[in-house]
Amino acid sequence: MLFDAAFLDSLPRFVTPLLLAALAGAICHRAAVFNIALEGMMLIGAFSAVAGAYASGTWIGGVAMAMLFGGLAGLAFAWFSIRRGGDDIVVSIGMNFLAIGSTIFMLRLLFDTRGQFDDPGIIAVPKIPLPFLDFQTGLSSLLSNQSVLFWLGLALTFAITFLLRRHRFGLQLRAAGENPEALKTAGLSPDRIRSIAVVISGVLCGLAGAQLSISNVTLFTENMSAGRGWIAVVIVLMCSGRPLWILPTAILFGLIEALGFRIQGLGLPQQFTDALPYVVALVVLAAVLSRKKKSGQIT
Amino acid sequence: MSNQPVSGKAPLCRLSGISHAFGPVQALDDVTIEINPNEILAIVGENGAGKSTLMSVLYGLLQPDAGSIEFEGVIKTFRSASDAISQGLGMVHQHFMLFPGLTVLENIIVGAEGTGATGLIDFQAKISEAQKLINQFGFSLDLKQPVETLSVDSRQQLEIVKLLYRNADIIILDEPTAVLTPQEIESLFSMLRRLRDDGKSIIIITHKLGEVMDLSDRVAVMRQGKKVAERQTAETDRKELSELMVDGTIEPISKTPSTKDAIVLNVRALSVAGAHNRPAVDEISLNVHAGEIVGIAGIANNGQNEFVQALVGLVETNSGNMTLNDRDMTRASVKERREAGLAYLAEDRMSVGLALDATVAENIIAGVENNQTFSKYGFLDFQAIRTHARKLVENFDVRTSGVNQKVSDLSGGNKQKIIVGRELSDSPSLVIAENPCWGVDVGAISFIHRQLLDYASRGTAILLISSDLDELFALCDRLVVFYEGRINAQFDRKDLDIFAVGAAMSGDHQFIKAGGTGQ
Amino acid sequence: MTFARFGKYGSIIALVAVAIAAVVLVPGVNENAMNFLDGAFGGRRNFNFFTTLSRATLIIGMAMSVLVSFRAGLINIGGEGQLVLGGLTAALVGVTLDAPPAVLLPAALVAAMFVGAVWALVAGWFERVAGVPLVVGSLLLNYPAVLFASYLVSHPFRDIDSGLSQSHRIAREARLPKFDGTLLDYGIFLILVVIAVVIVFERRSVFGYRLRMQGFSLPFARSSGFPVGRIYYQTLAISGAIAGIVGFIAVFGMNHRYVDGMLVLPLYSWTGLIAVLLAGMVSWLVPLTGFFFAALGTGAVGIERAADIPREAAQIIQALIILFAAGFGHRLISRGRKGDV
Repeated sequence: MLFDAAFLDSLPRFVTPLLLAALAGAICHRAAVFNIALEGMMLIGAFSAVAGAYASGTWIGGVAMAMLFGGLAGLAFAWFSIRRGGDDIVVSIGMNFLAIGSTIFMLRLLFDTRGQFDDPGIIAVPKIPLPFLDFQTGLSSLLSNQSVLFWLGLALTFAITFLLRRHRFGLQLRAAGENPEALKTAGLSPDRIRSIAVVISGVLCGLAGAQLSISNVTLFTENMSAGRGWIAVVIVLMCSGRPLWILPTAILFGLIEALGFRIQGLGLPQQFTDALPYVVALVVLAAVLSRKKKSGQIT
Repeated sequence: MSNQPVSGKAPLCRLSGISHAFGPVQALDDVTIEINPNEILAIVGENGAGKSTLMSVLYGLLQPDAGSIEFEGVIKTFRSASDAISQGLGMVHQHFMLFPGLTVLENIIVGAEGTGATGLIDFQAKISEAQKLINQFGFSLDLKQPVETLSVDSRQQLEIVKLLYRNADIIILDEPTAVLTPQEIESLFSMLRRLRDDGKSIIIITHKLGEVMDLSDRVAVMRQGKKVAERQTAETDRKELSELMVDGTIEPISKTPSTKDAIVLNVRALSVAGAHNRPAVDEISLNVHAGEIVGIAGIANNGQNEFVQALVGLVETNSGNMTLNDRDMTRASVKERREAGLAYLAEDRMSVGLALDATVAENIIAGVENNQTFSKYGFLDFQAIRTHARKLVENFDVRTSGVNQKVSDLSGGNKQKIIVGRELSDSPSLVIAENPCWGVDVGAISFIHRQLLDYASRGTAILLISSDLDELFALCDRLVVFYEGRINAQFDRKDLDIFAVGAAMSGDHQFIKAGGTGQ
Repeated sequence: MTFARFGKYGSIIALVAVAIAAVVLVPGVNENAMNFLDGAFGGRRNFNFFTTLSRATLIIGMAMSVLVSFRAGLINIGGEGQLVLGGLTAALVGVTLDAPPAVLLPAALVAAMFVGAVWALVAGWFERVAGVPLVVGSLLLNYPAVLFASYLVSHPFRDIDSGLSQSHRIAREARLPKFDGTLLDYGIFLILVVIAVVIVFERRSVFGYRLRMQGFSLPFARSSGFPVGRIYYQTLAISGAIAGIVGFIAVFGMNHRYVDGMLVLPLYSWTGLIAVLLAGMVSWLVPLTGFFFAALGTGAVGIERAADIPREAAQIIQALIILFAAGFGHRLISRGRKGDV
């Protein structure tokens, strides 16, 4: 009953933003940049997607705008933190603050509204039907009619894995994360590589935001990322930034969120189901990290 | 002074009139030096003489304030290390520049992955290229192994392979022997000779004159940022070089044997857990008597660090016990151990020994802040603290603008003097000194050594952990060698032999005469 | 151009630069500057000034909470959860405990401090025992705290007649008095005490000394024989307790009940944190920067009223100030080198 067709259908919607944001965080993590501004960058992406889709009348315009402004947010992060040497945590706090303030500000300025912007002119990201899948197995509910961004997220998981392992930039990025001084003596600029990593993470967060605002729904509400960026941070830490671990972990947290949504229908107060992902995140992270701590991987 | 290249050809590279200042400090002052193919050039000088700065300029990491670098007669400007690398320069830094989580192969190719349009790395081709180099020069390295699991000498081999992979013609090694056993040094030297005979230029930066005489063809001496002399190695000797290095002679120090008194530190079968379910410290027993200096030698990561931390109370022990002045301290807190007379000169001065962002006075009262002299009813008495700090700064000759100066602004030697002053001023009964002379200038080294000898002569027990065998040989009554968390050998002062110690450091029992458990 | 050479005041200079830039960039400068000043300080008999002070009370209180933990190198960004649970507890004690004000007020205050401290300690426990970085753990704990409070005032403790998610009012005689004709309540005295105690203890006491040294370098503190574990938990408890005090003031002085979102939406906790960052850990500057940000907020409301420029402009300016302070100032947090998280 809990896992009926509607539930399976909803699952990718919960997974996709977490997956994209966690991949963004993973790239920074591997380059040893502690980016906890995922939340803010997602929010900027969500707003830009709505603005772009509304203004251009196309979903591509929305996604492109989300990627552009996500990337710009990443560029700003890179400039303040890497170029100017600001503390990662302080810059992250500043970026998250900037995201909340500026999206509400622009909501007023561009759409003259408070709280929420909702208009038929916002074009949604299309869903891909897979008619050949058998309806009986549930696979059809799960995979058919899911957003382009869901499939993009899956593809990016493997693409980023491949990039990290096999590509020049991926190798240099891991090296920058391991020992930036050594990279300098190898004649490369760790700052440049890390900055590129942060910009890429901004673009990915932009996509995550677009999934929230023009794919799951077609509207923007204030602070709509609602802590998902922090769940993504937890996923990154749990998986030590390895994309192939991030995918199942993001699915797990998507499942919890979807489940919470479900249980809410059964009469449990919304506050409890809303809190569920954060409590689970904290407990699971604690379990994973204390095992690593015991085996001496971290001190 | 002979500047003629050995081969009679024009020099491969020439640095002329190089000057560089760090703020008010003139680190390099009009240095001119030539580098020839088929030659091993040694650059010697004390800490702070400017050797490393000169190499950083050559390697493009620093821009000179004045002077030029020529390659085969053409002036070049290096804006970064990559400019220098493409000119055929390669450098093995004193602290290895490796990526521990990456494999040997990945370490070799970072920054030289090839220039394909797609950026995809052709791992098959890279493996065969790298393997060819390894075979050609007789290295023993597994390309797939993660670097964090490599031994120190393998890491050094890897550094050299990295340079050869980039076709370096000029190979610079900064203090390459600091972390090696005598045996490993021998094999490194024969490898370097082979590279020289292969047409490479080798530059070795060192302050160990024995190695200079053993290895180099030509030697340049630096002192206070200037090149003060240059000699063909065959035409000089250790005595002349050492006088050139320090501008006069330094009284060599040596320990007068202690009369074995009461046991101050008594360690029984102490074990500390380590990574991968293997003990970092494996049932070590050791005594240190009053007035005795016991040295601990060993290659890095053989348990010395964990042993010291266990003695100070910074890590938990698994089993065994220790007493300090006959009081059981196995489960005692750091504070209790300190109150019982333990002093600790930490190897990591920047974060363990000092709080860099705090003032001189704040650093000096650490550990005694709660004494009645410095605080009443939980509040600090700044008057008393300043007076005490001023006195200590004066007694230990710390050069500072005042006790409210931030410690981060002080030089390495002065930082260490603050630690030495703080730790010794409370008349400790046991001093644990971990590489107390790392990175400090000659003056501070001899000051610290004299302090240690002085305290030992007054009955303080001293445990000296050092990676500098010369230091250990000069100061110790007794030397124990750590290997894989155990005491592999121990030597009395009269039995000290460099090769036997070296063998014990690398786990070899062949040369060891006096084995034992350190009683 | 670098502000770093101005030392610890670099961030203040960055602030002035950004403020000037903001004034220059906003159209209709003079008019808006007047609107801003009016919103922050004006009104009849300077009514708005006292409103600003009232807001500043809470922001500075949260700033002191953050200052204590940051000073020890503990990046506790869970002030919001600690504040909310403190406020909630104060409100629940206020509406359930039937006692004279002389008993009720201290009881509510102590209860709020206790709960705030406990919530901070939970985050500390997750770091010390399980290795969850405090910055992540303390933040994650905000969500259950805020949602739990929301649940309690939406269901079991709801003032149903009001139709909103809020608790009942606390008795009139138990409320903190207000200054005549203003919204400013006597809670400001409590915060003045907090400021004084924090600054004096931090600079002068043995505990403050150890706390600062531990913030500079944990290994140093450990090898100097400080009781680092105890200091860690004590610091967090103090930090959380101060947040609890702020929650108490908001309930007993300002709203007289707990209203869902009343402590979250005005961003007291985050603004306090930013005030600490701007002051660059110079403790006596924190009340000033806290007041400045309070004025920025109320001034922006003034501009919004008069010129219809969204008040969130203030938030944007705050964010920019922090980013520039981070990029051009000195190290803003006492913690080890970059990347040691």
